[in-house]
Amino acid sequence: MDLVQIARSNLEGFRYAGTEVALCVLIVALLLSGVILPFRKNRRLFLIISMLGLALAMTASLKQPGAGKGVRYFADLFLWDSFSVFFKLFFVAAAAFTILMAQMNREVEDYEFNECCLLVVSVTLGMVLLASSVDLLMIYLAFETMSLLSYLLVGIRFREARGGEAALKYVLYGAFTSGVMLFGFSLVYGLAGTTDIMEIGRILNSAHMAGQNRALFVLMVLFFLAGLLFKTASFPFHIWCPDVYEGAPTPVTAFLSVGPKAAGFAVFIRLFYTLFAREVGDQGFAAIEQVDWPAIVAVISAITMSLGNLSAIHQDNVKRLLAYSSIAHAGYLLMGIACLDKLGLEAVAFYLVVYLFMNLGAFAVVTAVNNGEGGEDIRFYRGLSARAPMACVAMAVFLFSLIGIPPFAGFVGKVFLFSAVILKKYYWLAIVAAINTVISLYYYVRLIKAMFIDQAEVSFEPRVSGVSYAVIGALALPTLVLGVYWQPLAAFIESIF
Amino acid sequence: MKNFAFNVFVIITLIPSFWVALSSNIVHAAFSLFFTFFGVAGLYVLLGADFLGVLQVLVYISGILVLIIFGVMMTQRAQMEHISTRLPGRFAGAVLSVLVFGGFMVAVYKTAWPKLTELPEPVPTTSEIGNLLLGKYLIPFEVASVLLLAVLVGAALIVRQSVRKE
Repeated sequence: MDLVQIARSNLEGFRYAGTEVALCVLIVALLLSGVILPFRKNRRLFLIISMLGLALAMTASLKQPGAGKGVRYFADLFLWDSFSVFFKLFFVAAAAFTILMAQMNREVEDYEFNECCLLVVSVTLGMVLLASSVDLLMIYLAFETMSLLSYLLVGIRFREARGGEAALKYVLYGAFTSGVMLFGFSLVYGLAGTTDIMEIGRILNSAHMAGQNRALFVLMVLFFLAGLLFKTASFPFHIWCPDVYEGAPTPVTAFLSVGPKAAGFAVFIRLFYTLFAREVGDQGFAAIEQVDWPAIVAVISAITMSLGNLSAIHQDNVKRLLAYSSIAHAGYLLMGIACLDKLGLEAVAFYLVVYLFMNLGAFAVVTAVNNGEGGEDIRFYRGLSARAPMACVAMAVFLFSLIGIPPFAGFVGKVFLFSAVILKKYYWLAIVAAINTVISLYYYVRLIKAMFIDQAEVSFEPRVSGVSYAVIGALALPTLVLGVYWQPLAAFIESIF
Repeated sequence: MKNFAFNVFVIITLIPSFWVALSSNIVHAAFSLFFTFFGVAGLYVLLGADFLGVLQVLVYISGILVLIIFGVMMTQRAQMEHISTRLPGRFAGAVLSVLVFGGFMVAVYKTAWPKLTELPEPVPTTSEIGNLLLGKYLIPFEVASVLLLAVLVGAALIVRQSVRKE
C-alpha cells in the first residue's frame, strides 16, 4: 500500500470504528467535565455523562456487517465482523453496569468517581480495540491498554494494605505473563515475517510448514497461553485472582471478573483459531499438526475448574468465594475452546453473555451489602433475608444460575457447553465438569442457606438504595428470561461464527 | 569484524545480567543493568536498527535506569537494604529455567527460519519509522497516546489519595 491508499484507509476506517470513537469522546468529555465544571463531587453528573457516552457507543456498534468475512479497516490492522461487533456490545454493556455499580458504591469516594469512570471507559476502549484488531502489534497494544489501566483500577485503594497488595500482585503477574506472550509473538513473527494474523494463519497452516520443528510450535503455543490464561484467570496463572478480587473495590472486581476475562477469551479464540487452526468443512476446525493444543487446553480446563471449586469450599469471604467461582467458570469456558468446532465457540459466547448477567448481579448484591455497616464476610449474610428480602431473592437467583440449575440462564449455558463437549466425544472432560458442578453446589448453597435459614449474627441495617435495586433487577431479569427464552440470543450467536 | 563486535556485545549483555539477577545489593544490580542495556543497544545497531539503538540508549539508559538509581538513592536505608535473592522453590525454578533454555536451544537451532540470502546494505531507518508512524501505524500511535493520558489520570488519582490521607 502506498501512502495515499493508507491515508484513505485510515479515513474510511472511521465508518466502522463508531464504538472506538464514541469511547474516546467519552474519555475526553469525562476528563474535561472533571476539570472545568465546579461539581467535582457530583456523582450523578458523571454517571449521566458516562451513560450517555456508553449509549452512544452501544448504538454505534449495533450496525451489523452482512455475510462474508467482514471488512478490514485502518490500514488492515482491524477487522469489522460479527465476532468483533458481538464483543464490542458485550464490553460496553459490562462497562455500563460497572459504572452504575460504582455510583451506588461507598468504597469509591466522591472525589474519585470521575477518574474511576474514566479508567473503566479506557479499559473498555482497550477491550473493544482488542476484539477487532487482527494484527499482532495492535493486539499487543490493545492488550496492554486493557491490562495497564486495570492495574490502576485495582490500585484505587493503593494506600490500604489489601488494596496495595492486590495491585502489586496484579502488576507483577501481569507484566511477567504479557512479556512471555510477547516473546511468543516474536517467535511467530520470526517464522512468518508478517504481523497480520490472517496471513500468519495461512503460512503456519500451509503444507510448507509441515516438516517444521515441533519444539518451536510447542513453545509458541505455551507462550501465547501464558498471557491468555492470566487474563482469563486459569491454571497455572490463577494465583493472583482471589487476592486481587478481594483487595479491589467491589465494582472493579465485578468488572475484572467479566470484562477483561471475556476479552481474554475473545483474543484467545481470535488468535488460536486463526493462527493454530484452519477451517475444515462447514462446522469444524483442524488444529495444526505440530502441537495438539486442544488437548492441552482440555487438560488445563479440567484442572482449572477443579482447583477453583475445591478452593472455594472453605471461603468465608464472599468476594474471595466469587473469585474462586470465577476461576472455576474460566475452566468451564475453556472446555468450549478445546472443542475445536463452531458449536463449542457458540457455547462459549452464549455462556459469556449469561455469565455477564449472573456474575455482575452477584457482585451488585455484594456491593449493596457492603454499603453502610455491612461487610464482605459471610457473617453479614446470615439471616439477611429478613431485612433485605428482595436483594436476597435476587442473590439466590444469581447463585442458582451460577450453579446451573434450571430454570435459570446458567443452566442453558451449561447445557450448550456440555453438549458441545459430549458431541466432540470428550467424555472424561464432561464427567469432570459434572462432578465440579456438584462440588460448586455446596458452597453456593452454603451462602443461600446463610441468607435464608441461619440466624442473624451481626445486626446491621442494609442500605440498599433505589438505584441498587434497579441495577440488581436489571441484571436479574435477563438471568431469568434467558433461562426460558434463549432462542433469539442463541440464533444471534450462531450468526457470528 | 562484525562477528567480533557481535561477540563483544553479547558478552557485555549477558555477564552483567547475572549480577542483576543474583546480586543482593540493589545499587550493584542497577549499575549492572546499565551494561546490559548498553549491550542490547549495540546488538540493535549491528542488526541495522540504528534508530532503535539510539532510542535504547536514550530511553532505557538515560531515562529509566537513571530513574531507578535515583529511586534507590532517594529512598532512605538504601545502603542497608539488602534485597533477598534467595527464593523459596529455588530448585524448581532452576529446573524450569534449564528446561526453558533447552527448549529455546532446540527451537532456535532446529527451525528452518526464513532467511535473507544476503544482508542488505544498512540504511538509515529514522525516516522510514516516521512514515510508518504517520501512515500505516497512525491508529496504534493514537491509541498509545490515549493510553498514556489514561495512565496519567490514574497515576494522579493514586498520588492524590496519599496526599489526602496526610
